[in-house]
Amino acid sequence: MKKNRSALSRRDFFRAGAIIAGGVAVSSSVATVNGLLFASEPSGGKGKWYGIGIDINKCIGCGKCAHACKLENQVPDDPFYFRSWVEQYTIKTDGTILVESPNGGIDGFSQSVPEEEIFKSFFVPKMCNHCYKSPCTQVCPVGATFDTPEGIVLIDENYCIGCRYCVQACPYGCRYVHPEKKTVDKCTLCIHRLKKGLQPACFEICPTEARIFGDLNDPESSLNSFLKNHTCMVIKPHLNTGSKLFYNALSSEVR
Amino acid sequence: MPKHIKRLILVFGIFIALFILLQQILRPSSFGELGHYRSDAIEENAANELHYAGVANCSSCHDTVRLQKSAGLHAMLTCEACHGPGLKHARFAGSFTGFPLPDSLVLQKPTERKDCALCHQINAARVKILFDTIDNSLIRQVNALEHNLMSKKTKKERKCVSCHNPHQP
Amino acid sequence: MAHHLQNLYEALSKVDGYIYPNEIELNWSILIVLYPYITGLVAGAFILASLERIFKLHILKPTYGLALLTALAFLIVAPLPLVSHLGKPLRAYEIMITPHLSSAMAIFGFVYLWYLMVVLLLEIWFDYRRDMVIWANESSGLKRLLYKVFSLWTTDISPKSAALDKKIGYIITVIGVPSAFLLHGYVGFIFGSIKANPWWSTVLMPVIFLFSAMVSGIALVMLIYIVLMRIRKQAVDMGCLDTIAKYLFYILIIDFALEGLDQIHRIYEAEESFEALHLLVMGKLFFTLFIMQGLFGIVVPLITLGTLQFYRPGERVRKTIYLIISILILVGIFFMRWNVVIGGQLFSKSFYGYTSFKIGLIGSEGFLMAGVWIVVPFLILSFLLWLLPPWKKKEEELPVHAS
Repeated sequence: MKKNRSALSRRDFFRAGAIIAGGVAVSSSVATVNGLLFASEPSGGKGKWYGIGIDINKCIGCGKCAHACKLENQVPDDPFYFRSWVEQYTIKTDGTILVESPNGGIDGFSQSVPEEEIFKSFFVPKMCNHCYKSPCTQVCPVGATFDTPEGIVLIDENYCIGCRYCVQACPYGCRYVHPEKKTVDKCTLCIHRLKKGLQPACFEICPTEARIFGDLNDPESSLNSFLKNHTCMVIKPHLNTGSKLFYNALSSEVR
Repeated sequence: MPKHIKRLILVFGIFIALFILLQQILRPSSFGELGHYRSDAIEENAANELHYAGVANCSSCHDTVRLQKSAGLHAMLTCEACHGPGLKHARFAGSFTGFPLPDSLVLQKPTERKDCALCHQINAARVKILFDTIDNSLIRQVNALEHNLMSKKTKKERKCVSCHNPHQP
Repeated sequence: MAHHLQNLYEALSKVDGYIYPNEIELNWSILIVLYPYITGLVAGAFILASLERIFKLHILKPTYGLALLTALAFLIVAPLPLVSHLGKPLRAYEIMITPHLSSAMAIFGFVYLWYLMVVLLLEIWFDYRRDMVIWANESSGLKRLLYKVFSLWTTDISPKSAALDKKIGYIITVIGVPSAFLLHGYVGFIFGSIKANPWWSTVLMPVIFLFSAMVSGIALVMLIYIVLMRIRKQAVDMGCLDTIAKYLFYILIIDFALEGLDQIHRIYEAEESFEALHLLVMGKLFFTLFIMQGLFGIVVPLITLGTLQFYRPGERVRKTIYLIISILILVGIFFMRWNVVIGGQLFSKSFYGYTSFKIGLIGSEGFLMAGVWIVVPFLILSFLLWLLPPWKKKEEELPVHAS
């Protein structure tokens, strides 16, 4: 009797074990495939594929881009919510790096470091990089943030549950939670303007042509000639986010 | 199969069936068409209200100013860069000529010192040469807090615009 | 809203260095510290139960039923801090309808359902079904109704059905162990897979979470067992308690080794984020990391439990030590979660500065709210212990059918 019982339970144990092992194997292969599909691939040359270029050599830090963005997209006024902002880097002669962005640059900058201590100083405008391998779309649990076929990363504010996982996942600090809507918000590349043939507000307003916007799939676009004629880099390339925001004259101190 | 196992399977079966049913009912209609998202969301984002008009819209009424500006050092500045978003203003003005503009649609005139300081305040980070292809493409920088601050005549603080015409600096 | 803004302005004035403008507000607060803590307790309690069932450590029998019920009580509460922290909690069902499979968080809905329905509820059902049928006959009113409902109105209490139940329960426990690992491991993966945050991004994160979960869950059951026996005025089974303490000691060693390895590796490689993290750890995080988590949560319990392996004081002294140590461990592991979640948001992703964290008493993410989520599982456990008391289980009954 006893021997029979233990033989039965051993068989059941192996059966159960095989089911578990098979299940784990299948589910892990599914997971890998889905893991690779975290954002759209470059469109393969067909259709529009939007990218952004910023020339640090031309930015005068007027902050009008950040301000225009807030006005165009009804972003709350307080200095905690920015779709786009400008940073000032001051590298002192003793090697220390000072970074500032008072109200995102909207109220202008003051140079607190005396001239003789400054080794180098420049402005860096920041905005959503519209990554094509974006970690933010990868981690959204419900599919409320996504990559359009034209390469714009958008948020579905009617579907977002406000879990804030995407805010944690963005390496560039582009996302914030809207204080009234309680959903996540960020730069939409002014898609509402693009659809009407207009430029995004920040590109429209920039007085020095420091911001270039264009179609990466169009060989004649101003963005492609910008990329060809300058030495461009993305921020945090080691994270492999597929960032489509290319900076000219990006200095090594910029994060 | 013992009765209690059958009953258990029945309960689980009902639960799973209900779950799948609810999933189908609650799934949004446009979900999954283009990717793991509601493709309606693209249109919803695109339907947002515009606020900036673009220079072409200003020129139809304010062409003299535009011409004046285009010949000078502020040529690269769009009207809205200083005056703020003007689409509502342009639409209203375009449809009701002759009516006075409501206060909310009057665009700002940034005449304070701090408004000019946004671009012209002296700062080591501010580039000197703007465009290699344009003659005289220096961006002049001053300390806006001090440059000709007090009027010797009126003994009051002067605005930049009292000496410099922003449309023809 | 105005209060919230005021907090943000205050935080803005306390910013140290440079942070991205959007980083001023901490996105994940004490509720997100609580969630991994609670699921960790669940996983740990279940592992303790499985030590008895699968690994045949029958000396742990007195805590078997208690561990399962503790796991259930805490599992029921687990999603509540998560849902209450959402910006749009009424949309929480979307995780079940359109889970985005590339997101670790999307797995939550299904792993949770699986663990609740298939593992925990079924195991408890197979373990208690026969008893519920017998107890139904011995009670009346609400209690009788509850027994009837939960046993699905079955009446079979034959030894054959009991043997079948035991076998199926065994299989479920076997499935339950990797499921428990998955339930809590994926939480570690949620943090460990964020490449944007170097305090979180490490391969070891799921493993560290898992082992600290086991430590906290076992300590919890030990604590509840001691307190429960005192309430019931019964003698504690010291053999059981000593064995629990022994396994707690072993797993604590592994947990300590893993966390130590993570830090040593980070210090040795000293990659881009190292200077910023070093300043964080020696500054804002010093007290919660070195004192609360390190000293009280790990080192003191390790030394104490280690000493007890060689030097055995009397029963009373040992029981008191176990009580204190389990409380220390529970607090220490809570701070481990705190240091991961809050610590990871205190420094800027630009590595140029730090923000500050303030938590209030009231409000949707205040201490009181967190306190509620900690107290409620104990209330549920009390109900479960009233309904399904492990000490009243009838192993020896022989009648074939109850009327």
